[in-house]
Amino acid sequence: MITPEWAAAAPTLVLGVTALVLFAFDSIDPESSNNPVLAGIAVVGSLAAMGVSVAYLVAGVGDPAVELYGGQLVVDGMALFFQVIFTSVTALVALASYDYLEDMRHQAEYYILLLLAATGMSLMAAAGSLAVGFVALELASLPSYGLVAFLKQNRGSAEAGLKYFLIGALSSAVFAYGISLVYAVSGSLLIDAVAGSVRNAGQPGVLGVGVLMVLGGFAFKTASVPFHFWAPEAYEGAPAPISAFLSSASKAAGFALAFRVMTVAFPIEGVVGAVDWVLAVQVLAVVTMTLGNFAAATQENVKRMLAYSSVGHAGYVLIGLAALTGTGDGGLVLGAGMIHLLVYGFMNTGAFLFIALAEYWGVGRTFADYNGLARRAPLACVAMTVFMFSLAGLPVGGGFVSKYYLFAGAVNAGVWWLALVGAVNSALSLFYYSRVVKAMWIEEPAEGVDVSSYPSTLYAAVITAAVVTVVLLPALGLFSGFAFDAAAAVLF
Amino acid sequence: MAVSVQYYLILSAFVFCVGLFGILTRRNALLFLMSVELMLNAANINFVAFSYYHGNLTGQVFSLFTMALAAAEVAVGIGIILVLYRNFADVDVTKATTLRW
Amino acid sequence: MSNPWIAIGALTLVSIIIPVSMVVVSALLRPSVPEQGKTAVYESGEVPTGDTRIRFNIQYYMVALLFVVFDIETVLIFPWTVIYRDGVQQFGMAQTLVPMLVFIGVLVVGLAWAWRNGAVQWVKSTRARDTAGSTE
Repeated sequence: MITPEWAAAAPTLVLGVTALVLFAFDSIDPESSNNPVLAGIAVVGSLAAMGVSVAYLVAGVGDPAVELYGGQLVVDGMALFFQVIFTSVTALVALASYDYLEDMRHQAEYYILLLLAATGMSLMAAAGSLAVGFVALELASLPSYGLVAFLKQNRGSAEAGLKYFLIGALSSAVFAYGISLVYAVSGSLLIDAVAGSVRNAGQPGVLGVGVLMVLGGFAFKTASVPFHFWAPEAYEGAPAPISAFLSSASKAAGFALAFRVMTVAFPIEGVVGAVDWVLAVQVLAVVTMTLGNFAAATQENVKRMLAYSSVGHAGYVLIGLAALTGTGDGGLVLGAGMIHLLVYGFMNTGAFLFIALAEYWGVGRTFADYNGLARRAPLACVAMTVFMFSLAGLPVGGGFVSKYYLFAGAVNAGVWWLALVGAVNSALSLFYYSRVVKAMWIEEPAEGVDVSSYPSTLYAAVITAAVVTVVLLPALGLFSGFAFDAAAAVLF
Repeated sequence: MAVSVQYYLILSAFVFCVGLFGILTRRNALLFLMSVELMLNAANINFVAFSYYHGNLTGQVFSLFTMALAAAEVAVGIGIILVLYRNFADVDVTKATTLRW
Repeated sequence: MSNPWIAIGALTLVSIIIPVSMVVVSALLRPSVPEQGKTAVYESGEVPTGDTRIRFNIQYYMVALLFVVFDIETVLIFPWTVIYRDGVQQFGMAQTLVPMLVFIGVLVVGLAWAWRNGAVQWVKSTRARDTAGSTE
């Protein structure tokens, strides 16, 4: 517990206040090109938010859960755990953006949008009602649309922004309609109250359609089938740090809300008469994993490959929901999903930031363009190798442990075939991830590419992400306890 | 005498489908925005009708939030469409194919 | 007990029948004299020029955007005003007023930022600037 109670929302408040400070700074001096200060405020703000959420997590503020504003906000272990993910990714991205945005205009706006999106995500993790969840989801999405289209003169960026926006707008309309149907049946928007009234709901058909539509809204935010079309486009066209931000933090935010709403508001035993959403998620998980990984294997463009692999990873995390069959330990598998998102937050952010580094150097976008890069920038390439192997699930980074937990949890819950599909897909993913490594270390370097400068903050962000990814391999034991406890607390 | 609540459900489902149809068939980005607006307003119909039916104000207040968000969404959307127009000299969503769809 | 909707149905029916019957009757009675002048947009006076679809200056977009912000603000303040009196009685002034002040404060920060970044600055077109220069 914590006094005063509203202080439990501090991570969100710190992010929001940081965005307002940036607004104020840019209002005082709109023509300023004092970029170190802008980037500094953003990094310090997100690090402060991260510090607060880690401290809360360790101090056990979320246990028992703190309910604010009549249950509209719920700060529990899961919310704090996800807030750690969002804030650390935001800090890494803000740090890397300083070099990436060199000499560009509208930098203040960039950081403002970044912080506002992070605020929205942090709010999503703590949403205690569908209304807050919807507003927070929009707060996370709207700045993201702007960020994807940030390179206004670049046709790819504008197109990516449009597609992301169109599919986002469609899916948020579907999400809102789903919420309205759930409200029609239950008469409340508070997640706890919905859970109470759907058990003996009168209209199973209306409720079923509503639940599926809400699930569709989550599928958009997490880049899962059937709303995954935007992901490869948006990630490829967006500035690379923004791709990192969207594919790690935004995806985690979608899962944060999905985990809470699906498990608390629609308990399986309560709504199974209306709709068996676990079955739907199982199908989505299998399709998402397979589609993401197979599409990634056929790409020639590294950024696009990473984009599809990010769709594949959404499929792995969906196992966390799909294995809630009622048999086995639900907390174990849901916690495994959270741990995977934490590790993914670092390794995937790092991988996209490496792409940002390559874009900064003017290296091309295909696998062949990365040939021999290791001779020019060995340190960064070691980091990239760590990311690739960790993403594939080899025991060089935390990705190995989190995938192991996920698959073990799935087997434990009696859906061994989900684990099997996941393992086969992981094996396939090793093929295309190792293509990057092969290109960097083994192939002969191409002529004409000159790696002359070493952008310090971009480098620092990549190396930090790599170090954390490696450290998480042995240290995950420390965090996993928090995740499993938090997941179990949400479920029961 | 009040209209019974399932008629509102049918009305909102109809409006939602009109919006969805517009999204699937129109190629103009601005018409796309209008269709999304229709879908959000279909949700609003449900919220207001069932707010009355359940006898609490949650739904009505939430419909105000939906309106605010719809306005924000349109503001951002038109900004992006402007950027699109400057780059491609058109607002046809199928013309922008620098990346693969 | 008669259904009160019958009255509405009857009203609808009458409101359709009257205008339709007037159109039909006059179409039957009047002589038909086709003439070019009758098809003009303005039957007397101005000859219309140009297209009906004119382009608005893009700067109206900014004005519209700022309008939307305050339009929506009003919508969100409205429910608050409804419960304000009860809220003050039950929870006291601070609990009721401060959240709304924070909300408006955030909007003011946004407005100040937009103002400083030139959202309300009217950039003149080159042609307008030229005419202004020639009259000086």
